[in-house]
Amino acid sequence: MQDIIDQLAHAIREAASHKTCLRIRGGGTKDFYGGPLRGESLSTTAYRGVIDYEPTELVVIARAGTPLPELEAVLREKGQMLAFEPPHFGSSATLGGAIAAGLSGPRRAYAGAVRDFMLGVRMVDGKGSDLRFGGRVMKNVAGYDISRLMAGSLGTLGVILEASLKTLPLPAAEFTLRREQTQAEAIALMNEWAGKPLPLSATCHTGGFLYVRLSGAVAAVRAAREKLGGEEVTDGTTFWRELRDQRLDFFTLPEPLWRLSIKSTAAALDLPGEQIIEWGGALRWVRTIADAQTIREAAARCGGHAALFRGGDKTTGVFHPLPPVMMRLHQRLKQAFDPAGILNPGRMYEGL
Amino acid sequence: MNQPVSSRKPFPAELLAALMAKFGDRVSTGAAILEQHGKDESAHPHAPPDAVVFPETTAEVALIVKLCGKHGIPVIAFGAGSSLEGHVLAIYGGVSIDLTRMNKVLAVHAEDQDVTVEAGVTRKQLNQHLRDTGLFFPIDPGADATLGGMAATRASGTNAVRYGTMSENVMGLTVVLADGRIIHTGGRSRKSAAGYDLTRLFVGSEGTLGLITEVTLRLHTLPEAVSAAVCAFPSVDAAVRAVIQTIQLGVPIARCELLDATTIGAVNLYSGLELREAPMLFCEFHGTTASVAEQAETVQTIARELGGMDFEWATKQEDRTRLWQARHDAYLACRRLRPNNRAFSTDVCVPISRLAECIAETYDDIAMASMPVALFGHVGDGNFHLVILLDPDHPEEADLADALNRRVVMRALEMGGTCTGEHGIGIGKIEFMNEEHGDAVSVMAAIKKSLDPGNLLNPGKIIPA
Repeated sequence: MQDIIDQLAHAIREAASHKTCLRIRGGGTKDFYGGPLRGESLSTTAYRGVIDYEPTELVVIARAGTPLPELEAVLREKGQMLAFEPPHFGSSATLGGAIAAGLSGPRRAYAGAVRDFMLGVRMVDGKGSDLRFGGRVMKNVAGYDISRLMAGSLGTLGVILEASLKTLPLPAAEFTLRREQTQAEAIALMNEWAGKPLPLSATCHTGGFLYVRLSGAVAAVRAAREKLGGEEVTDGTTFWRELRDQRLDFFTLPEPLWRLSIKSTAAALDLPGEQIIEWGGALRWVRTIADAQTIREAAARCGGHAALFRGGDKTTGVFHPLPPVMMRLHQRLKQAFDPAGILNPGRMYEGL
Repeated sequence: MNQPVSSRKPFPAELLAALMAKFGDRVSTGAAILEQHGKDESAHPHAPPDAVVFPETTAEVALIVKLCGKHGIPVIAFGAGSSLEGHVLAIYGGVSIDLTRMNKVLAVHAEDQDVTVEAGVTRKQLNQHLRDTGLFFPIDPGADATLGGMAATRASGTNAVRYGTMSENVMGLTVVLADGRIIHTGGRSRKSAAGYDLTRLFVGSEGTLGLITEVTLRLHTLPEAVSAAVCAFPSVDAAVRAVIQTIQLGVPIARCELLDATTIGAVNLYSGLELREAPMLFCEFHGTTASVAEQAETVQTIARELGGMDFEWATKQEDRTRLWQARHDAYLACRRLRPNNRAFSTDVCVPISRLAECIAETYDDIAMASMPVALFGHVGDGNFHLVILLDPDHPEEADLADALNRRVVMRALEMGGTCTGEHGIGIGKIEFMNEEHGDAVSVMAAIKKSLDPGNLLNPGKIIPA
């Protein structure tokens, strides 16, 4: 396996010396995500497999090229999971890609995001150096928290080689219910419930129904189920997986797909097109033909930001524009990791 | 405890005059004030700043940073001064920016379960402010630290095992950068703002990348029921095993602390308790009444199988407070074990599967030590402390303590752990940075250089020279 790292590091050093761009790629299931793809593809898929898994201490260390389904199967065998529920936009989705994209699934609002489960990374930076940050312990304050900075950095700071992640036990019981509600009612309920000691693990409003997943001890799930009412969704597992992997009918609509991350109590968004509400109200998926500025202003008014997730016109940028002082700070950080500017340039922002 | 090599520039009279003109009596060069800002709760030798300024707004902090920047003078953020590795010491002189007057809770959003505070608000002040909302801020490092300081040091404490550390609970920050510009990172939406997760970079940067002036924090719902328990064990090993089994079963235990027999002896004396002088676990359970009962039942069963005795419950608020106060006072209690001592605390964190072994080997070191050493810690996270009590009249003890600390750290690193689980690097653990991180330190140094080219933000901390 060291030979694969050597090859990756060599390719990066070559690219840095010739100032040619590299496009880091795992399973390629998120090629649609972010800015334009530039440069030669640098594949991480050969560097795969679980390095160390210690179920007793709830920690797994795996190589970046490990397909998510493979990793999750290893965990499931020991009754554990990745609690941030990373989306699989295809069966070849990799761990490295999940971390670099920083995307989390339905459980995120209740269990935490990718970054919250990151204990350490091994990576190759833009100079070709093989580096390790953090480790496998639950708490580490020895220096800057680089492993968490890597989550969501879209491959612009380095090539993730390995990650150590905190795992959690699978809940003893899980139950999905749904209730017919309007968007406004659903937002109000999601927020009301979030303030109560309920074993919520996912919420979603789509097609006139509020879906709720309860996870935890048998008694707690049973009690909450009685409290919340509604009807049982018998294939709940399928529903949440299709939501996570964007296979519900909503996601096949032709309009561009926007992802708005806003404060959870924000009222239903007044934008044309269909919407799905997740994460207790904090995440809104919008299929709309509205223009970018209208959508970004709507997100900003609700204390958040919008990203063009799939389709649409990417020429004005995909992610919420950064104020100049923030952009400079980003460029300085990029400079510290990738002085030649060869790793995934433009995937997050132009000039980064 | 290596004395850092420090060089102080003479403090420019012009800068002092400019600060005085702007801040009037909120600038101090009085000996007592300087002395107070030149120390923390560690045993590191004091290093007072040249001046202390008490700003009241972020804009004022930015102005101080700009003025100092013009003269190439360091700035050091100061909150409660409760750091444990010399984080706030002005080892290169400069201006200590005391943020305690920035003590307003700016906005509580009960529905969204978040709050924005100024950096000088302490955690107790915040929880007092939240008392009618049904919400609380769980992170509890013991000291009544400021939330700005807790963010800057990525603090955790007794209930990190359930609620996480500052890393998981800070949603956004207002930061003054080295050039005096003000930025806002993250925000109130659940996913941090667009771009890099800068919040994670500044949390734990110990004031070396920017000065945190405001913090947005995630709040948690007050549990419907809380109960605490103490249980004595025949050995530290048995206690640790009980914790491992508990975590493994997914019991969402809120706190789980180990105190060794020496510590219990000290706590009994200090807090007037009558606990059996044996290794003990202090546990706390949060949840619904039913879930707390279920958790407690599970833990009690595990404990009993491992020889646990004297299982004692505290469900009344005052009993719980007494118990946890005793735990928090453990450090002070241990210090009473030897008159006029200097105390030195270690802070390693190891994988939980190696914790029992690590502690057992550490006891072999303690057995050889000539001075009193107590052990306690947050075993649910694999993090434990030794409090080594030094007699200042016997300077050779400092070398022995250094050697003991080095052995403990090296053992932790060999076991895949870290030299510091929660206290941070400051100046005290800088010597271990290369050993722990290798080449990665050069990237941290590059980040520092790129964000603070003049090396004026708390210089001499975290990054080895």
